[in-house]
Amino acid sequence: MTLAVLLPFLLAGLAAWLGPRLGRRTGYVAALAFVPALLLAVPLSGMPGTPPALEVTRWVPTLDLALAFRGDGFSLLFALLIGVIGALASLYSVAYLSERERFGRFYAYLLLFGGSMLGLVLSDNLVALFGFWEMTSVTSFLLIGLWHTRSAARDGAVKAFLVSVIGGLALLAAVALIGIAGGSTSLSGLDVDALRASPLFTPALLLTLLAAFTKSAQLPFHLWLPTAMEAPTPVSAFLHSATMVKAGVVLVAKFGLLFGSSALWSGIIVPVGLATLVWGSWLALRQTDLKALLAYSTVSQLGLLMSLYGLADAEGRFAATAHLLNHAAFKAALFFVVGIVDHETGTRELPMLGGLRRVLPLTFAAALLAALSMAGLPPLGGFISKELFYEGMLHHGPLFLAVAVLGSALTFAYSFRLLRVFWGPLRHPEDARPHEAPPGLTVPAGLLALTALVFGLLPGTAEALTRTAQGALNFAEYGGHLQLWHGVTPALLATLLTWGLGGLLVWQAGRVGDLQRRLTPRTNANTVYYALVDGTNIVASRLIARTQGLALPDQLRIMLVAAGLITGYGVWRAPQVFHAIGTPPLALLPTAALLVAGAVGVLLARSRLTAVVVTGLTGFGSAAAFLGLRAPDLALTQLLVEAVTVILFLLAFRFLPGSRDLPRTRWRYGLDVGLAASAGVGATLLVLASVRFLAPPISPYYLENSYRLGGGKNVVNVILVDFRGFDTLGEITVVGMVALAVLGLVRLGQRGRTPTSAEEEE
Amino acid sequence: METLFALLVGLLVAAGVFLLLSRTIVRVVLGLSFITYGGNLATLTVAGLREDAPPLLTLPGPYVDPLPQALILTAIVIGFATTALLLTVALRAYQVAGHDDVAAFGDNLARDTEAEDGMIADPEHQGPDQPDVEEPRTLVYTARGRE
Repeated sequence: MTLAVLLPFLLAGLAAWLGPRLGRRTGYVAALAFVPALLLAVPLSGMPGTPPALEVTRWVPTLDLALAFRGDGFSLLFALLIGVIGALASLYSVAYLSERERFGRFYAYLLLFGGSMLGLVLSDNLVALFGFWEMTSVTSFLLIGLWHTRSAARDGAVKAFLVSVIGGLALLAAVALIGIAGGSTSLSGLDVDALRASPLFTPALLLTLLAAFTKSAQLPFHLWLPTAMEAPTPVSAFLHSATMVKAGVVLVAKFGLLFGSSALWSGIIVPVGLATLVWGSWLALRQTDLKALLAYSTVSQLGLLMSLYGLADAEGRFAATAHLLNHAAFKAALFFVVGIVDHETGTRELPMLGGLRRVLPLTFAAALLAALSMAGLPPLGGFISKELFYEGMLHHGPLFLAVAVLGSALTFAYSFRLLRVFWGPLRHPEDARPHEAPPGLTVPAGLLALTALVFGLLPGTAEALTRTAQGALNFAEYGGHLQLWHGVTPALLATLLTWGLGGLLVWQAGRVGDLQRRLTPRTNANTVYYALVDGTNIVASRLIARTQGLALPDQLRIMLVAAGLITGYGVWRAPQVFHAIGTPPLALLPTAALLVAGAVGVLLARSRLTAVVVTGLTGFGSAAAFLGLRAPDLALTQLLVEAVTVILFLLAFRFLPGSRDLPRTRWRYGLDVGLAASAGVGATLLVLASVRFLAPPISPYYLENSYRLGGGKNVVNVILVDFRGFDTLGEITVVGMVALAVLGLVRLGQRGRTPTSAEEEE
Repeated sequence: METLFALLVGLLVAAGVFLLLSRTIVRVVLGLSFITYGGNLATLTVAGLREDAPPLLTLPGPYVDPLPQALILTAIVIGFATTALLLTVALRAYQVAGHDDVAAFGDNLARDTEAEDGMIADPEHQGPDQPDVEEPRTLVYTARGRE
């Protein structure tokens, strides 16, 4: 399992390197990365009988963070699903992408995502789970924004990222709360009773839900999924239909065992899921872009899965797991189909296409199977899991069932709307000459569509797969079976009603379209999102303009006032120690006089030469002070630096104007005098307050060990080059960087023009 | 002795701050130098000023505290680098702006809070992350087999 998670990460680096060299063939390498995930089918075949295996790699023990992968049935099932779809998407993209695509980047991102997703479903450690969760958000951002030169791709990437990351932060908090309340960071090692009794239970539950809803695009967070369709189609099939968007569903499934006892859990998830089901399919029916239709359809199907897992009973979890498999099969297949249509005709717009079954027969077969599964017609897998869905909802009340039927009828309608591109007279953009796609595109789509068919014709296969998760999700006691014919049950009647409604919607498609156009509200999640983002931008830029956009002196005044208030408080709280001035040694009095003269003189200096000479005097004064205060090294350095500084100033003054002081407004002048005086007084008091040892100084260590460890008798030097060698190295680096900067600026200045005008002339 | 030097530090810092706030660019640079002097002396004073031998083990002890000296030695050099850099930037700023009035430098965004989004310096160029020209879709529909 550890290998299954880590290999995609390792191969991502390889793919980045191979991309420019192998071109599109990098996809085969990418598909290899999913082999260990596919091999997880071996332990899965032993489920639900065998106990789950646990592989732990210590990572940061102090944080209770470990790479713990637990192979229970549900995790393995999902990992296998990721492996299958991931490998198929990699192979599909080989034929799909254009020659000029940056393969190294694409496959590296794709593999990073695959590894993160596998880690997410297999991780037993809550902290690591959060880490993988965030990594899927980041890689999804990169993949959606792959064609970053298009504004729509950037917008979609940012939107998806913002929404997912809000949920990610919520998950971090939830994980922390669960860890504290449950006394463990391991999902399987949690003390469930302690968690349920803890006051942190409800906040953790709500935060988990926020995370799951944002990731799985539930209302009102569904807005990012349609814009995520800017990603290349293989990515959409992999991330935005079969895997990443189901991360929230997985979270609800796994944490449902912890939180399911609470009425709040079902009370929130089921209504939200059903609302998402209906609203998503309602919006899907309106789309003209095939991928947008599929995106909204994914939103609605995720709502269905959410509501089933949210029932928090064995029946719901059984039905949801069955539908999870079906949905992955038919939805990824449909994405692949739409990719083929796009690839062959150059457009995804429904009105521009028709009759494609004549030129794309294989694709049509795959599309038909997948779409019928989505619509819930026998003998396909989608029909069976829809029956179970109705059963589950029926047990919780007729109202739930009514909503479910409404959503499913809309689903039925848009499934047939999708198939419209294959029926009727042949229609496609004039410059396209569609012909059947190469096998690299049709085989993945066909395989998945056949899977959907097998799940229906041989329900035993789907049931066996679903049953592997029974140990992990506690539905072992549920005795239901997947089969096509259950006899005449309420669910069957509801299904017939669904078909009737759906058929009506298909038959009256034109009128339904008009009705939808009339009923669509002006505000939707997207307008709210843009209002928020733009509003934030405007507020931020105005705030910055008002606070950071001032002239430099005013900016400094604000900073100094703030600094003065903060340090002033510190000085005021610190006990003052007033030493008597005593009798300073006479040798130091001239030095002090020099420093005073320098400080006063520079304020009075009118010409630049006077100013720099006076500054130099102060520098030499401070060198003299160092000498008097028993610091010969400092005096020497100060003298050297002072000499160079004066030379530098004199050089610069060839080009600079005088240092006459420009007049300040009266209140600014007053403020400055006040600021300068308080800074001076504050500095004095600060020094006085600090002349106390709160702890014994550490300096004796240096005095004792300087010769013994550093081999030098000048302790200051030994500290600089031995005890604190890296500090000095950093300091040298800083000086070197400054030298480069100075050189660059000076050379710019030698042209005597601004660089822009220089560039214009060149 | 500490009190004397504390007063000196205060004076140097006060002069430095006053210079820093002036409108002339040269005085701003000088102000920073003065604050540096004050800071260096403050570091030394805080550690206590005693009439002991300098920290050279060749001399007989007791010695003064070597640690603040090491810190100040670094500070002097960094201070010099800062002054040099600032001076050069000042020079460039003067050359580009054509005057040495700090208060009139820069965009002074505050004057233009009513701009479209309040922060576009160059309306032609939206921002570093926005290419100036919207490139065509890089997705090329390969038409392999019919070229």
